[in-house]
Amino acid sequence: MKVSRSESSFANAYSRFRRNLFSQLILLSIGTLVHMPIVLASSSVGADGERTSRISDEAVTELDLDAMPKRPKLFIEWGPDFLGNGNIPRGIELPTGAIWQPTLIVFGTYRTALQAFHRDDETASEWANQMDLFANLQLSGSERFLLGIRPMQEDGRFTSYQFGPDNGFDDDTGWNDETNVEITTFFFEGDFGEIFPNLDREDRKHLDIGFSVGRQPLNYQAGMLINDSIDALGVTRNTLLPKGTSDLQLTFLFGWNDIHRGDNIEKSNQKLYGFFMAMDRHRTTINVDLVYVDDRNGDDDGFFWGVSDIRRIGHFNLSSRILGSHALEEESLAVGDGYLLFAELSWTPAWTDDNVYINAFLGIDDFTSAARDPSTGGPLGRTGILFQAIGMGRYGAPLGNQATESVGGAIGYQWFINPIKNQFIFEFGARQGTESGGLRSVAGGMRYRHVLGQHTVFQFDLFGTINESRDDDFGARLEFRFEF
Amino acid sequence: MIQFLPALPCCLIQKDAIGDVKASLLLLILAALIFHFPGSYASSAEGSLSAEGSAMAEGSIPNADKSHASMFAHDGFPSATECGDCHPKQYKQWSVSQHAYAQMSPVFNAMQATIMKFTAGTNGDFCIRCHTPVGMNLEEDIFMSNIDRHPTSREGVTCIVCHRLNQAYGKLSGRLHIEAGPVTSAIYGPIGDSTELDNAISKGGLVVDNEKAGRKVHGEVEGFFQLNTSGFCATCHDVNLVNGFRLEEAFSEFKNSPANKRGLNCQDCHMGKEPGKVLAEKSDPDFYKKNYHFGPAAKVGSLKTKNRKLTNHMFVGPDYSVLSPALFPLDIRAIKEEHEKDDVRARGMATIREWLIFDWKAGWGLDDFEDEVDDDFEFPERWESIDDRYDAREIITDNLHLLKEIEIERLKLLQNGYLIGEVNVDKASAKGIKFSVQVKSGTDGHNVPTGFDAERLVWLYVSVTDSTGKVIKTSGDLDPNGDLRDLHSLYVHNHELPLDKELFSLQSKFLTRNIVGGEREQVLPVNYSASPLIFLRPSRNATVLLGRPNGARKHKVGIEPNGERWATYTVTSEQLATGTPPFKALVQLKAAMVPVNLVDIIKGVGFDYNMSARDVANVLSLGHVDEDGEVIIWNEDSDDPVDNQVAGHQIIWERQVELSLDGRALGGQGK
Repeated sequence: MKVSRSESSFANAYSRFRRNLFSQLILLSIGTLVHMPIVLASSSVGADGERTSRISDEAVTELDLDAMPKRPKLFIEWGPDFLGNGNIPRGIELPTGAIWQPTLIVFGTYRTALQAFHRDDETASEWANQMDLFANLQLSGSERFLLGIRPMQEDGRFTSYQFGPDNGFDDDTGWNDETNVEITTFFFEGDFGEIFPNLDREDRKHLDIGFSVGRQPLNYQAGMLINDSIDALGVTRNTLLPKGTSDLQLTFLFGWNDIHRGDNIEKSNQKLYGFFMAMDRHRTTINVDLVYVDDRNGDDDGFFWGVSDIRRIGHFNLSSRILGSHALEEESLAVGDGYLLFAELSWTPAWTDDNVYINAFLGIDDFTSAARDPSTGGPLGRTGILFQAIGMGRYGAPLGNQATESVGGAIGYQWFINPIKNQFIFEFGARQGTESGGLRSVAGGMRYRHVLGQHTVFQFDLFGTINESRDDDFGARLEFRFEF
Repeated sequence: MIQFLPALPCCLIQKDAIGDVKASLLLLILAALIFHFPGSYASSAEGSLSAEGSAMAEGSIPNADKSHASMFAHDGFPSATECGDCHPKQYKQWSVSQHAYAQMSPVFNAMQATIMKFTAGTNGDFCIRCHTPVGMNLEEDIFMSNIDRHPTSREGVTCIVCHRLNQAYGKLSGRLHIEAGPVTSAIYGPIGDSTELDNAISKGGLVVDNEKAGRKVHGEVEGFFQLNTSGFCATCHDVNLVNGFRLEEAFSEFKNSPANKRGLNCQDCHMGKEPGKVLAEKSDPDFYKKNYHFGPAAKVGSLKTKNRKLTNHMFVGPDYSVLSPALFPLDIRAIKEEHEKDDVRARGMATIREWLIFDWKAGWGLDDFEDEVDDDFEFPERWESIDDRYDAREIITDNLHLLKEIEIERLKLLQNGYLIGEVNVDKASAKGIKFSVQVKSGTDGHNVPTGFDAERLVWLYVSVTDSTGKVIKTSGDLDPNGDLRDLHSLYVHNHELPLDKELFSLQSKFLTRNIVGGEREQVLPVNYSASPLIFLRPSRNATVLLGRPNGARKHKVGIEPNGERWATYTVTSEQLATGTPPFKALVQLKAAMVPVNLVDIIKGVGFDYNMSARDVANVLSLGHVDEDGEVIIWNEDSDDPVDNQVAGHQIIWERQVELSLDGRALGGQGK
């Protein structure tokens, strides 16, 4: 369905949208969303059959032990059971005085999905797979090694079988083999005072310095500032108590390798320096984060910062963020000059435990993150499910998640049919480029998730997008996520 | 399942050679993995529970006496009752302590079960490991009725949890090793001097060989330096979840406190003469004499050991029991096990199930009741004997006295931890009155509240009245469930009552990050918005760098050591117009163990001891009351409800001030 420039008004787009069977489904979803608070209202039920806020007078005279899930076994578990009962071994005393009780477990997540994503008159359909596999060697309460691989993905490409198109984005149809054993995570973390307790047997000195060294995932400002796995050394002081503050945490970070820049591309010889502060005050939590990236090979030096305020106002939850990026030499795809304003507003409707949200963003000029992993897309993923990178295969974010010169938002309803069993999310979103000729798009989508047994989640996603100046997009996917 | 693993790197490495076939093979292996793992709770269960094991009502007592008897014969972890024979003072203090209540608590049992349910069982023994280390060592099920647990398991943080520990584990979140052995095995104390023990053994005819008959005692006392340090408490009182969630930070707060700089220990404030306060500076040469009681540590018949510093094992804290006073404190005379039911030599008087049908609130065993009761009144078979009822009442009355004692101590602790400072009228005219109340920390040792601060309630109740006593404004009042009118109140959430916008509360809040839509407060820190399957595994990023996993965190709002906060209140012109001046403000700083909304959210799994959510909530907020909400009178010395109250919300401080329209606050400190 090609659309000429002359027809590219929203009125025409809406008309086309109405005629499209697929779009009807989206409209139905949005309509359901609008009426959700009434349709989905749930409540406690009193003896008279009426819903009530009064706490129950009924006693459970027999605890239902059979309904209680038991600890799932891990398929590799050396040493005492992970969070299992039984006497815990005495451990080994190191010359430093530390007592270590080593235990190794292997755990992870496997995701597999059938998905189709239609854009620009082409439908990329595939069976995609993604896996995170970790080995955790716990030494004590605070010390551990973590080794992780992503054996089914590499540099943003995933092991998959591609059904189409023949002239697809990057690869031909058929198998796309991205299996590998590249280590994506390998770090040691600990507490200096806990490793060397003999330095302070009375436990009085301020040796409680947490540190982490190695290749590790980092996530700051809800992933908008940094969302990457890099080789880094971080040092933290926790639970500081300055006047007027309930909690303060300070972290210094130095990253030296495997740094993916704002364009999701790894560049060599980059150094990252960060200072991160998280502070709880009586009414709010404030985060102030500063990052400097030194490009020793080129001109992509950048300074990045983010400030957030998280609080509740009446019945509403509000998270507000402002972030900035500044190219210290030349602007590029890796680093640009720009700002991102981001707000998340949500509330829980009466008589439900559901989540209604309205999120909005404004990207001024070319905001770029300090570091972004290829699978994470752009920084706007938290706007809504229509903006999120699925994190596997070629299924894109329906409304995109780059922050450059754009404004947009999403409104949605997360309906917990049973919080730990099944749930729906219905969402309506829109974005518009703020530069001349910028793309305008609106979209609707839904997600259904259902827990199967103790390890598996089934997920179904569906979306449709109307674009003002190009073809509409739509897509659907079925995913099974297996936790072990 | 493990056997496929050696093949895995091989198939991955030979990327070019195998190509598509390899990927297919890998996927097949993964599919096999999926089908290997059981899909249901039942089929993946470790161990099993019989339905009869869950029975609670007397009519359905589990027929497991033999297995219980066999299990209970395990003496690797001696009961506190055995220690109590020679250490009655310490036993009595401990028996009413939060440590003794840790596992008995029906709120804890339901809370950890709810978390287990929310996390598909992956939370494992994380919570309960601290609450009953012995039960976990004995490989008891993580969730079961306390009635059917091993008696030492029910004792929670019992004597041996601290005194059979001989290594400095550091901040371990309670996952410590307890040295197993009979009561005759060595125990560990801060000094390790066996002189008095040896003397008692030789003079008292005590037995140190577990195979011999006689009164058995530990043969040795060994020194463990850490018992006297704050680091020892840190083993359990800095709680970090495996996903990096910093649940409790009492020790970390202490480490960064002025009290630590002054050389104080946790024990100095919490095991001394007065809870929450040291009575002398550490530099005082008589510090120990001033701050601690002195006396014999043990008593064997008439033989008392030499006087020494005694630490208070009452561990006074903000918790209080919601149980029948027959079941808690843990009086040695009270509880017998099901397999001991017909054993006249058993120390306990009745089983828990039998105690549950003893109607202490009705006055059984008291003259007033027994003199008036109809002859044809049908008592349960176990309590048909009036002598038994009187004997039972004696235990209950003694326990109530002990509960009253710790309630008084709890008030001291709270008064040492919190202060009401200034009350200022900032603006006052016919257009309205704006006044502020200063709440100060009374301690320099940690935040207040500390520890499990996301469920601890300390708040200001403010009531403004006119000259006739008519209330024209309140804040900090309760909804019909007994909750504050905050976002967690069911009545507020359902818009049946307005949100208390001026509420001053020091309860920290659990926040979960929605899949979309920022963070929201949750009563329990379980994030089902991000995923309906909450599968707890070690964090995939460094926990020390964030201290806050991406899915859930805690917003701490407690007051830092020596800190202060101000609460502000506005009486609008409309409110003023409903009354006649002069106006007065009653300001009360109040405390509660946990909020009622916690009880509501965990009620689905059921409460132990046949309690309904309403039963638990009533004791939480009102204490032990009858059906009309009147305090049960049990104290033979007083009919005053205050003297008969042993649980429920407490007023820490109270002040009444006159709100003068010329801008002055008149009045002084009340209670």
